[in-house]
Amino acid sequence: MADNFEPLIVTFCCNWCSYAGADNAGVGRRQMPPNFRIIRTMCSARIDPEFVLRALSKGADGVMVLGCHPADCHYIGGNYRARRRIALLRLVLEQYGFDPRRLKLEWVSASEGEKFQTTVVNFVDVIKALGPTPIKSEKAIAQSTNAVAYAAAKEE
Amino acid sequence: MGFFDKFKKKKDAAPAEKAEGCCCAQKAAAPAAAPAGSNVFPAADLGEVFPGAPKNGKIKLAIYWAAACGGCDVSLLDTNERILTIGEFADIVMWPIATDGKEKDIEAMDDGSITVPLISGAVRNSENEHMVKLLRKKSAIVVAYGSCAMFGGSPALANLVPGGADEILDYVYRKVPSTAAFQEKYHADCAVVPKSTIQVPEGTLTLPVVYDTVKTLDQIIDVDYYLPGCPPQQESITHLLKAVVDFVYNDVALPPKGTEIGVTDKCLCDECPRTKEYARITKIYEPYQVNVDPNKCLMDQGILCLGPATVGGCNAKCTKAGQPCRGCYGPTKLVQEHGASALTAIASLFPVLDEDPTCDEQKIIEIMSTVKDPLGYFYAYTVGKSLIKRTVTEEKA
Repeated sequence: MADNFEPLIVTFCCNWCSYAGADNAGVGRRQMPPNFRIIRTMCSARIDPEFVLRALSKGADGVMVLGCHPADCHYIGGNYRARRRIALLRLVLEQYGFDPRRLKLEWVSASEGEKFQTTVVNFVDVIKALGPTPIKSEKAIAQSTNAVAYAAAKEE
Repeated sequence: MGFFDKFKKKKDAAPAEKAEGCCCAQKAAAPAAAPAGSNVFPAADLGEVFPGAPKNGKIKLAIYWAAACGGCDVSLLDTNERILTIGEFADIVMWPIATDGKEKDIEAMDDGSITVPLISGAVRNSENEHMVKLLRKKSAIVVAYGSCAMFGGSPALANLVPGGADEILDYVYRKVPSTAAFQEKYHADCAVVPKSTIQVPEGTLTLPVVYDTVKTLDQIIDVDYYLPGCPPQQESITHLLKAVVDFVYNDVALPPKGTEIGVTDKCLCDECPRTKEYARITKIYEPYQVNVDPNKCLMDQGILCLGPATVGGCNAKCTKAGQPCRGCYGPTKLVQEHGASALTAIASLFPVLDEDPTCDEQKIIEIMSTVKDPLGYFYAYTVGKSLIKRTVTEEKA
């Protein structure tokens, strides 16, 4: 199963640096696995932790948040907010039982097409090693639908 | 002036006199009157309600608890003297904490014959589910009463146990020191743990089956109105009561289905009398670790408060008393993830450091790790309603 596992990755890119960086990677014809979907936001601070949780709850195997390098934010301090939120959110995800590596924060500037490529390639490798999201596992589905309890109640 | 107001006035006057001689500034100023700028969510004006039986006969009221502590039932007494006259307009057909209505009595009723059941508590076992489904079938309007029914509340924190019901039962009946000693002493060879069914000579005995995942009320049945709070506060309850009473006596239409009754459109900070200076959090404190300044925002003092993410309606009773908001009223109307919303607000309060442009992520992770148990803190009442409803297990961990 792990051999043909193709992860589904949601990537949030800030408008000013990382989205342009992704564009740069495309213009530079850099080879990347096609597992990621980009969602453009105006700033990495626009990414409400709810977006990440929603992506994971709907079955994303990993989430990447890409923003401008520290001190380069178009809105001066947005990426400082984002990195604090993502750090705290990663603690929450760890408590939920997710591997913290499923949420990645990286700084990619508009000229760093190569860094965008390596970030994506490495992240896809990490997620492939981790396997599919635990939220879609049989155990999680059985637990969240109370399958065992319903079966026991039926026997009565 | 109502009968109970006489007592209320005396009670308010007494601690004020005491406080004058008291050296503790915190206690003296805690019940301070709200300064200009903070808004008060008014209780509904019930006027001269319950003037006798309604013209179409008394309504039927049921009050049921599923996985709840009973606090919601007690909170109904906060309606003061009106509780004494509730019999004027309603027949209470079921209220396990106070009256004698049984499941079979409800089953014997016609479908839709109960006007309003107030259901408090989350759905945690097969009995809860059976009863709320039965009440839904027999009722016209269902109200999810309190945080547990609405968001899962404290019972839904059980969803954070990876092993689900089995692990919880195992822990409670085998590993807790008192039960471990009992099992070892009396049942060393075979521990006694409750089963859902057992055969005895007289027949089969059954117990409700505990669920792995605690559900909110609206994940099980169709819910018409919501009333948050742990427990719902008096102001909120009066709004619910007014809606029902207006409908029964004055033919005023009920609010649209799905309305959250007894809350404001704004967050708790709107009602909190404390002044905010937008200080940054450099170190996190618990209220017992510091002398809480009665007039300054708790966040400014380093105490994590869920006020910015929580909907108003309780008139900030906790923050007025020097305790941070724990978010029992749930998120504001446009938000689903209460915890994520609180997390966003609180993470942004950590200051931008001089070294921020150059430091690595590890430093930031260390700073944010000073927030202990973020999941339990930010989702104290809303795990059941969160997007990821329970803990998961990585298969390759």
